[in-house]
Amino acid sequence: MGELDGRVAVISGGTRGIGRAIAEAYLRDGAKVVVSGRDQAKGEGAIAEMNAGDNAMFVAADSAVREDCERLIAETVARYGRIDILVNNAGGSKDNAPVAQLTDEAMDWALKVNLWSTFWCSRAALQHMIPQQWGRIINISSTEGKVGKPGIAIYVTAKHAVNGLTKSMAQEVGTLGITVNALCPGAIETDMMKTDGPPAAEAMGITYEALLDWFAQESAIKRLNDVEDVAIVASLLASDAGAGITGSLISIDGGSAPY
Amino acid sequence: MGKLEGRVAAITGGTRSIGRGMAEAFLREGAKVVVNGRDAAKGAQAIAEMGGGDNIAFFAGDATKQSTAEGIVDFAVERFGQLDIMCLNSGGVMHTAPVAMMSDEEWQLEMDWNLNSVFWGMRKSLQHMLPRGYGRIIVTSSVEGKGGKPGLPGYNATKHAVLGLTKAAAKETGTTGVTVNAILPGLIETDIVRETGPESAKMMGLESYDAMIDLFAAESAIKKPNTVEQVAAVAVLLASEAARNFTGCMFPVDGGSLPY
Repeated sequence: MGELDGRVAVISGGTRGIGRAIAEAYLRDGAKVVVSGRDQAKGEGAIAEMNAGDNAMFVAADSAVREDCERLIAETVARYGRIDILVNNAGGSKDNAPVAQLTDEAMDWALKVNLWSTFWCSRAALQHMIPQQWGRIINISSTEGKVGKPGIAIYVTAKHAVNGLTKSMAQEVGTLGITVNALCPGAIETDMMKTDGPPAAEAMGITYEALLDWFAQESAIKRLNDVEDVAIVASLLASDAGAGITGSLISIDGGSAPY
Repeated sequence: MGKLEGRVAAITGGTRSIGRGMAEAFLREGAKVVVNGRDAAKGAQAIAEMGGGDNIAFFAGDATKQSTAEGIVDFAVERFGQLDIMCLNSGGVMHTAPVAMMSDEEWQLEMDWNLNSVFWGMRKSLQHMLPRGYGRIIVTSSVEGKGGKPGLPGYNATKHAVLGLTKAAAKETGTTGVTVNAILPGLIETDIVRETGPESAKMMGLESYDAMIDLFAAESAIKKPNTVEQVAAVAVLLASEAARNFTGCMFPVDGGSLPY
């Protein structure tokens, strides 16, 4: 018997990195899991690797697009009959730059993929969670949702906004059996970080190695986090024991954030 | 396989309330556990109820005293050969009052019970854990470690203070294999709260004990108190090997009460 037997979870952007680790943890805990991503072939590959048979499904969806977010929730319910757990994991930033040189397009995309996607998926999922009086919404924010670094203002802004949305939603649904929390990881060297980190570092005026070192040095553990750190908390929050934790911005950053 | 197989835990308090919940959860996860309380007879009864056999032991001592906070570490090492997990859990108020009416005696008691005992137990644990390169220190703070309530000045001051201690110790030990974290529970209707709650409620300017429970519930999003089991689940996570990258963390279990 797993802690999540009978539960259905959706993880946006769950084919790799943090989302993938959460998907695998939920499958181990007995849940049925839907992951989304933009690339159909990669998504199907991820599902095959997770080797969960009928308990896992991929939905091709771009988290920066409202219709895709809403379809992700709809296809989950169509396939598995319900949705209990939503992990708003998709996120990122492109074309980072100091604010003085920042483009509208870069800000817009960062807000779409981090903030709007969380809003769209949550709104759609709540339509199912509220009537069933049970739900878990877990927003993958960042330590940069609490503090700020130069040159990545779009990311910092979007993640702060996600934390605000988290607190407000938690208050709205607190008596309905639904919890809403944000996880704030420190830097993790995922595939996405390896791709997007070097240009972000350039915007910050440093090398990619210096960027990773910056995150490590401001922590107590003096090293980066890993995806499993996030997955264990995501499992706890999704469980019945997580019922008393809501509206929390949980730091998973090796002791970096001051609060 | 439990998550704490082969580990030894000590819990100040631990015969009832939050500490008891931690002890039972740790036993289920395969740890050996030392619990503590003042009364030897109650302690014997508590460990009999928990049914841990040779895997649980009781250390008698007043948790407000340095000899207890340090002695439980030595006791655990003597009994079970090592100490991996130290829960600095015991705490509370006896005769709280608004600042203007607070007695030196109560103030000192709260300092010793909620702050000094955490320091004494943490220092002693670290002296054992650092040479071994492994340890999990878990401090039971409170939602009142970040907020404030009228009539609870000593509790608020000490529960804030242990968060400062937790953060500093986490920074000191971050690369050593030892982690230091705090859990911040919202109000839980434990035995201790039922005993001291009515008097505390009066000092908080409230009409009744029930009004105090309502005040805490009302400021949460879930509009009800938390439970011992919710705190114990977080303690298991922080105590596990998988939590090696968690340190200096202030983990709320407060149903959405705190603004940060």
